[in-house]
Amino acid sequence: MTSVLLLVKISWRNLWRNPRGTLLTALALGLGLALLLISLGLLDGGHEQTVADGVRFGPGHVVIQAKGYQESNSDELLLPARVVSAIEGFLQTGTMKQLVRGVSPRLQATGLLSSAANASGVRIVGVVAEKERAVSLIPQRMIAGTYLSSDQHSAVVIGDELAHKLDVRIGSKVVLMTQALRPPGAQSKDDTGEEMHSTLLRVGGIFRTGLQAVDGNIINVPLPAAQTLLGVADGQVTQVALLLGQEGDSPMVARALRKQLAGDPVEVLTWRESMPMLAQILGLDHAFNYIMNGVILAMVGLGILNTILMRVLERRYEFGVCKALGLRPGQLAAMVVGESLALTAISLSLGLVLGLSVHYYFATTGLDLRLLFRGGLPPALVFDPILYSRLSVNRIVWSVGIVFIMATFISFYPALKAARTELPGALKVL
Amino acid sequence: MSDVTEWAVELKGVRKTYRTGPIEVPALRGISLQIAPGEFVATAGPSGSGKTTLLNIIGGLDRADAGEVWVAGQELQRLSAGELAHLRLRRIGFVFQTYNLLPVLTALENAEFTLLLQGMPARQRRARVEKLFSEIGLSGLEDRRPAELSGGQQQRVAVARAMVTEPALILADEPTANLDSAAAIALLDVMEHLNRETGTTFIFSTHDPQVMERAHRMIRVQDGQIASDEVRGSRGTAGTERGAV
Repeated sequence: MTSVLLLVKISWRNLWRNPRGTLLTALALGLGLALLLISLGLLDGGHEQTVADGVRFGPGHVVIQAKGYQESNSDELLLPARVVSAIEGFLQTGTMKQLVRGVSPRLQATGLLSSAANASGVRIVGVVAEKERAVSLIPQRMIAGTYLSSDQHSAVVIGDELAHKLDVRIGSKVVLMTQALRPPGAQSKDDTGEEMHSTLLRVGGIFRTGLQAVDGNIINVPLPAAQTLLGVADGQVTQVALLLGQEGDSPMVARALRKQLAGDPVEVLTWRESMPMLAQILGLDHAFNYIMNGVILAMVGLGILNTILMRVLERRYEFGVCKALGLRPGQLAAMVVGESLALTAISLSLGLVLGLSVHYYFATTGLDLRLLFRGGLPPALVFDPILYSRLSVNRIVWSVGIVFIMATFISFYPALKAARTELPGALKVL
Repeated sequence: MSDVTEWAVELKGVRKTYRTGPIEVPALRGISLQIAPGEFVATAGPSGSGKTTLLNIIGGLDRADAGEVWVAGQELQRLSAGELAHLRLRRIGFVFQTYNLLPVLTALENAEFTLLLQGMPARQRRARVEKLFSEIGLSGLEDRRPAELSGGQQQRVAVARAMVTEPALILADEPTANLDSAAAIALLDVMEHLNRETGTTFIFSTHDPQVMERAHRMIRVQDGQIASDEVRGSRGTAGTERGAV
């Protein structure tokens, strides 16, 4: 034990034989950790925002829809009202009530929206206004008029791109035309084989999300109006979208619902399953980020290796003397590893202070991506132009751990060199 | 020498050849000698004569190609690297030409370095080093780093480091080579005093006539062989308290 303390003492003091070199090396490794923390914070923050916005502009964290809908995208596949009631009832019980923040049944179909000036194909989303507010972000992105309310039966809310294309404003009349939905296998009621329905609506609100696919395509209409227009009876809907308090609860809630709805012809999907493209993009982004971080760490690691190796080679004579005095190879190696660990400890402290400071700034003030993309934001991932850093304790521990392990691993080679100091070659004389 | 029951050092037909590629340089050509416990021996000879190689092999820093090397009752050829390290730590002290103190440790810490490696308790360790420092005139310099000491003082710390474990044998390679005349004499006084008081065997290589004069036995090495072996004064014998290695 005493000799271990001696080795620790020697290691620590050796570090400060060249304070400038030690500090520069510590700073390099510290910067590596800081970069890792900053990039992980922004990545996790960006993904969290992307998922949060993505699910709220899409089908929610968890969606329940008729079996086969995800694969076929057939609007004729509807959830029976009995199932919708069962879902809403189940979500009001016990744990589910605490986990679920919003439940919104939606009826979806494609149609044609026409104004006096133009016409455009649209995706009709029939919603219960109050319930949709708890799930979707569209009600929060109104730039003109108001979102739907329960007393408006013939209002429609559209995106600003669609409004521009149709040249309509608040209060303008538009005609929504669509084909009635028929359950698969059901016969058409008229001779033509088609049941085209149309209804006159007034633009009650215009929203802007910044997403072309939403602003130029999606329209929200009251659910009863949509059901009438589409000839859907008995409160059937396309899907029930759920917004959860925590994204991480999605699999658990989905599992519980699958169990509860076993036997019903439904599919319960998490957002990863209902929006596989988004999940894949985020996965790719993660992978790319890990590769970049790996490259940064490898470069920093090589720098550390070079520094420690130089320190060892410079002290070959000293190691020779230690060995001649009776220090065993393992003790020499421990001395070098100890020195490296002490250097790592200093580096990690510097890196944590630096990395967490920058993270705190980005977590509170945010990183305004508009400053980086003056020519316009990239269309896909980040919905909100201000990116907020998010770092979990796990991430911090993981980052510190990986740098620590890397530095320790790197020190093995110089330690081996020190341990293999050959006598009497390392001593000029004797 | 025939009355000695156990030699501090005994070499029988020791050979050592260094090889650099195809070139072979014989350093020792069949050296045999015995050194009794408590002897104060100098080895001298021109550069390249083999005296450093001789000390390296006696100290277990290098291995002979042929022959037997016995130190402190153990045949070095049969010891593993770890056992040699243990022998050096417990039974042999080294004094190097360039002092070779650890620059990050104070004089006292340098001197107690080997005791720390042996795991001796702090109080006992400190007492032993302070006593030795007092004997060799280093009191008051305990907390100085090597860079804050003169060459003579550093070499005395190196001697203290070698002596503090109370080894059976101290090997010193040209210990006065980097010292001025006064410092060299002072160091020799210290070494002779310790030899006399403790019975520790001293073997040192030297070019310095002052050192040669003070040696009780003078072994001249030339071309890897012993050219002469001259006993000049009192020398140690086996069976003394320190000599029973």
